[in-house]
Amino acid sequence: KMGRRSAPRACGGSALRRVFPLRYLLCASGDFVKVYSVSTEETLRLMGGHADLVTGIQLNPHNHMQLYSSSLDGTIKLWDFMDGIPIKTFTVGSKLLALYAPASAEDSVFVVIPKKGERDTFQLVSVKLAKGAGQDLEAKELSVVLDGVGASMKHIAFGREGEYVVSVKDVNLQVYFFKRKLLNRFSLSTLKTKGGDNNFSCVVCHPTEDCIATGHADGKIRLWRNFHHRKEYTYSTLHWHHDIVMDLAFSVEGTRLLSGGVESVLVQWHNESSCQKDFLPRLGSPIEYISMSSDGALCCTLHTDNRITIINSNLRFSRSIQGLIKSRDVKTGLVVDPRTKALVLNGEPGHLQFYSLQSDQQLFSLDIVQRQYIHQAGLKQSDLVKVAFSARGTWLATVEESEEVTDPELQLKLWFYNEETQSFKLNTRINSPHDNHITDMCFRDMNELEEDSLILVTTGRDCVFKVWVMVEDTDPEGNVSWSCDFVGSYHNYQATNCCFSEDGSLLAVSFEETVTVWDSLTWDLKCTFCHPPGNIRNICFGRQTCSKYLIGATDYGFLCCWNLLTCALEWSAHLNVVVLQPDPLSEHIAAVSWLSKESSLFVFKPNEPRPIYIQRNLCKEKILLAAFVPRDEPEIISSEKYYWLRRSQLFFLTDTQELMTLSTKSLEERLTPSSKQLAVEESLPVTPFSLLLGKHRRQQAQEDTELGKPVVHNKQEQASPAVKELLHTPAHVLPSASFLCTIFINSLLISKENKSAEEIADEVEVESEKAEDDSDEEDVTEMEQEDTSHTELLGEMTCKLSKSQEKELRKIRKTDYSWISAF
Amino acid sequence: STTWHPPPEVTRIMVNHRVEKAKRECVVWAIALLSSGTVVSADSFGRVQFWDWQQGTLAESHTVSSSAALSLAVSEKEDSIVVGTSTGATYQLQLLPVKLGGLEKRWVRTKPFQYHSHDVRAVAHSPSALISGGTTLVIRPLMEKVQKKGYDAVLRKFTFPHRRLVSCARKARLLLFQFSQHLELWRLGSTEETGKDGEVLPLCRMPEHLVQLKSKGPEHIYCSCVSPCGTWLGYSTASRFHLYRVRCDGDGVSLRKVPKVPKLLPPAYQLQFSADSDSLFVASARGSVHVLQLLEPGGCKLLHIACGCSEAVYLLAPSADGHWLAAVSGDWAIHVYNLKCFKHHCVVPTYNCAVSALAIHPSTNNLVIAYSDQQLVEFSIPEKQYTGWSRALQSRGLHRAWLERDSPITHITFNPKNPAHILLHDTYLLCVLDKSLPLPDDSTLLMNQSTLKQLPETARKRQLHAFKICKKFQPLLFMDLLDENCLVVVERPIMDFKTQLPMPVQQKKFGT
Repeated sequence: KMGRRSAPRACGGSALRRVFPLRYLLCASGDFVKVYSVSTEETLRLMGGHADLVTGIQLNPHNHMQLYSSSLDGTIKLWDFMDGIPIKTFTVGSKLLALYAPASAEDSVFVVIPKKGERDTFQLVSVKLAKGAGQDLEAKELSVVLDGVGASMKHIAFGREGEYVVSVKDVNLQVYFFKRKLLNRFSLSTLKTKGGDNNFSCVVCHPTEDCIATGHADGKIRLWRNFHHRKEYTYSTLHWHHDIVMDLAFSVEGTRLLSGGVESVLVQWHNESSCQKDFLPRLGSPIEYISMSSDGALCCTLHTDNRITIINSNLRFSRSIQGLIKSRDVKTGLVVDPRTKALVLNGEPGHLQFYSLQSDQQLFSLDIVQRQYIHQAGLKQSDLVKVAFSARGTWLATVEESEEVTDPELQLKLWFYNEETQSFKLNTRINSPHDNHITDMCFRDMNELEEDSLILVTTGRDCVFKVWVMVEDTDPEGNVSWSCDFVGSYHNYQATNCCFSEDGSLLAVSFEETVTVWDSLTWDLKCTFCHPPGNIRNICFGRQTCSKYLIGATDYGFLCCWNLLTCALEWSAHLNVVVLQPDPLSEHIAAVSWLSKESSLFVFKPNEPRPIYIQRNLCKEKILLAAFVPRDEPEIISSEKYYWLRRSQLFFLTDTQELMTLSTKSLEERLTPSSKQLAVEESLPVTPFSLLLGKHRRQQAQEDTELGKPVVHNKQEQASPAVKELLHTPAHVLPSASFLCTIFINSLLISKENKSAEEIADEVEVESEKAEDDSDEEDVTEMEQEDTSHTELLGEMTCKLSKSQEKELRKIRKTDYSWISAF
Repeated sequence: STTWHPPPEVTRIMVNHRVEKAKRECVVWAIALLSSGTVVSADSFGRVQFWDWQQGTLAESHTVSSSAALSLAVSEKEDSIVVGTSTGATYQLQLLPVKLGGLEKRWVRTKPFQYHSHDVRAVAHSPSALISGGTTLVIRPLMEKVQKKGYDAVLRKFTFPHRRLVSCARKARLLLFQFSQHLELWRLGSTEETGKDGEVLPLCRMPEHLVQLKSKGPEHIYCSCVSPCGTWLGYSTASRFHLYRVRCDGDGVSLRKVPKVPKLLPPAYQLQFSADSDSLFVASARGSVHVLQLLEPGGCKLLHIACGCSEAVYLLAPSADGHWLAAVSGDWAIHVYNLKCFKHHCVVPTYNCAVSALAIHPSTNNLVIAYSDQQLVEFSIPEKQYTGWSRALQSRGLHRAWLERDSPITHITFNPKNPAHILLHDTYLLCVLDKSLPLPDDSTLLMNQSTLKQLPETARKRQLHAFKICKKFQPLLFMDLLDENCLVVVERPIMDFKTQLPMPVQQKKFGT
């Protein structure tokens, strides 16, 4: 089906855990598992398949090229993350809240599930992973290990060599020793004296010793020892954090302990001593998770603003992976930068982030407030609340205010884009532009052909709107600065919204229940509209063919369209509109409503009261903001229904700060390209294997030149078919290594018969063409069926093998290999 | 503290070897030797280090504190060490197995305790508690070693020494206060008025600071005493014993050192004048009591050396009639001497607890003994046996509230008006023990004085018991009866000397 909602592109706050196998960073993100390259920060792969939030990921301890993932959809999936293929799916049945895969457990993993019949009670169970032939297996063999555990994955840890498991909840710690079947419980005092709070926040175990480290709500870290004695257990305390310890991690040898929290400082404790510690400060935002690479060379921290920082073992910042930064509150709205087409919104505290939708990366972060942000709860600090771009993006206006409710400290800043430095430069700073909160701000949106036409309007709760214009400074350099030109008000009502008509001749300002329309040349009040009862929540002018209409939404649930020529209501509809967003490139206007716990989307043209597109139950979350992002090129859209999305793409931001978009393609269509991705050969790090491979490729290229053929710069063409085959075939369908070995070795030999090389090259070309043909029509389900049939086919072939192996392989290759390229 | 071990050769360990760059001098404040041959050192960098005794190599180093580590003590099992630091914090290091069931063990710093504001100069490790001493003494039970919750599992804090630091000249109404390096002699004020209970009477003569006597040299004063008549004053330091003659001429007071004091084997642990101020008893560290005869106008001669004690004598009690002298030695044996014929009279049956105070009743010559576990015993010297009342008390047992007190009885005296009254005090209470009244049992209230006051006369009679306790004066350093109508009580408010202490080590506290 077409038009399904796309999964969140970037989301914060969901359970994320990273595992490092050598040089990949794996991260659970929403319903997906992302694979990043540690060296390039690129997202190599997005592994989708879970139907709900991924709650835990763990490397398969017996095969470090495989990954287990658990999800709220009740399944555990085993992935080959090198190729992004789901190998097996184990259905457990109940919600899985956390996943653990200690190496000591032979064929089982541990998950946290809700206890049946009891609300908010969870238990740790071991799941025996059945060894079946099929891809989808049932995992019903559960045995309860611990009862009454915390639902967060940070509340359970497995000890040295999986000998014991520790769970913390509230002020209680329990340790279960598997071999001795002994359960020890320890409790701390619940008294909160002298600012102390003994509640546990996280737990980790020492990798080689019997030592448990726990983090606490008051910032203490306790190191427990001797916990196999019920009475003679003991602990020591490390205390640096002033607020909750969010996560802990031991180094591979266990000599160092890393801790992080709200302070945005990574603390490294040496030898469990409180006197020897190192700090990595200014990490930008509170640390949520800490993870160590398996070789101990790197560690990474995940922050509350949805960013991953990679840190060297000597506690030096290495690099950071950041997509959409999650800020505490998106007050600026979703704004599109006309220059870069990036989405602009609140980023780090006091910063404006420019987020590239194409690359899922932050382009840059502009420090607006330019003040040190202190990471401490309850402090009133300045933050960015409003932002506006001029039509061509040369001017940027920002408003920042302190969090004081009664007397906000306001600042209006105007920034000019400097072509030389490729960044915004502060031009004018206006202190207290209004006496109360600024509610809206807009530039006169003409194409800036004449510089004079550029004006800025701000509306405030101090019952006025102000018009700001550029004036030339008296100094000889002829710089410009901004000053107030006109102050308008209407019956002493609070000004709530403002917008300019497309040609810039009219300004609409809403004052509580009334919309006023002003002539932008003379600043005369032209006419007023209202639709009582209820205040005006949003207003916008129609565009292009509909520019004679003014649209307004009231908080009493009415969407009104007024005709500016007749000064009369054209039509109105009963709709609780939360977001009203006009498309800058067409006459379409998107309205998002919120009713009975679901958001719905309506797209209409102001000249017709009937919406041209309705999508009810768009999502369960409340959509707070929306933005039309112009496409680089108008897309060819087959469906009439989505014709309005031809020139722009519509993005939404929900109250959980998930960014969503409306896709014109079906789910299958969208998943296909990702599952077609080839092996990671391009981003392979420099290893002996890659050198060997590279050498091999060069050799081949040389051969080609010797043969008098032009050197083809396509990497696929350069690689030997045998090697390519080896690399591109999914591991689970490959024949045995002994079978492949000879072919591989042969391919490395300098061939004397040029003819055979030609043959191979030809064949590959034919194949790749064929593969392309096939792939267009392919979809996921069909492909899976093909997978299985080929496994069987290969099995038969290996039985027959007795003669020259190379000949046999040719036969196989001639059969049908189109599916290989699909991976 | 030092630990002695006969070394075959001298091994020199340079503790500050690794921190030479710091250009601070490293001082090793304490060492301990483990049976495994490991030397443990505590130094001014706050480190506790474990050295191989023969090689002189560093095995482990634990930085327990950012300030100096001053004292060390090892448990008997050698699996736990307590360290005292200059910030007043004590830390415990434990020898714990690295892996469950494994043989490898490692010292791990575990619990920190902060019970002191200043230097922890001395620490001790008992099987079930950590004991630390600085400006106060703290006994911190190790909960994991205490078998049952109760009296033993309670943290105990002692601010005052369990020794008598004040002596009183009853007849001359003088008080002698012993400080660490000086003595102060005060004359008590007096009043001629009378008033009701609780009333503060106006003084007709103000208390008067007569003289301050500074001890020579750096040594601390060990013990001191003023004679009942107020004309003799003696004190002893660790190395020397001094005797002075006090002369009152008009308002002024002059002290004259008594020449040719017999050379005694130092140090003296206790000084006691006889009731008639004719002789002075000196308890020596070698287990003997020297009897000095005081001669007018200012001389003395050694009369007798009473032997018999195997350890140092630390408490003395002469009888009022000058007939008997009781001496307590370090092995807690109480020897009674006959002073008339300078003969050893008898030994009081030994009890397995230290004697905290003792006194001989002036009329019956019964020896009243208070032990540190709060037991009370009355022993008849002439009959060489426990008195009937004492046996009754033993068989009945003392009240639980009495036994669970923290502070031991430091002084015992008697009421000359009523021979049945024994006056006792510790740091927190003053008790009149009336032998004529029934003993209380655990079901009755021990400290019942305030409730008794509210009862009518007849009901009050029924509720009366032997222990009449007053907690009005705290902390109580000394109490004595001057005469039949006059009781002197010395209080020492804690704030008085807390303000005189130097500032504690500066520490940055978050949020201050």
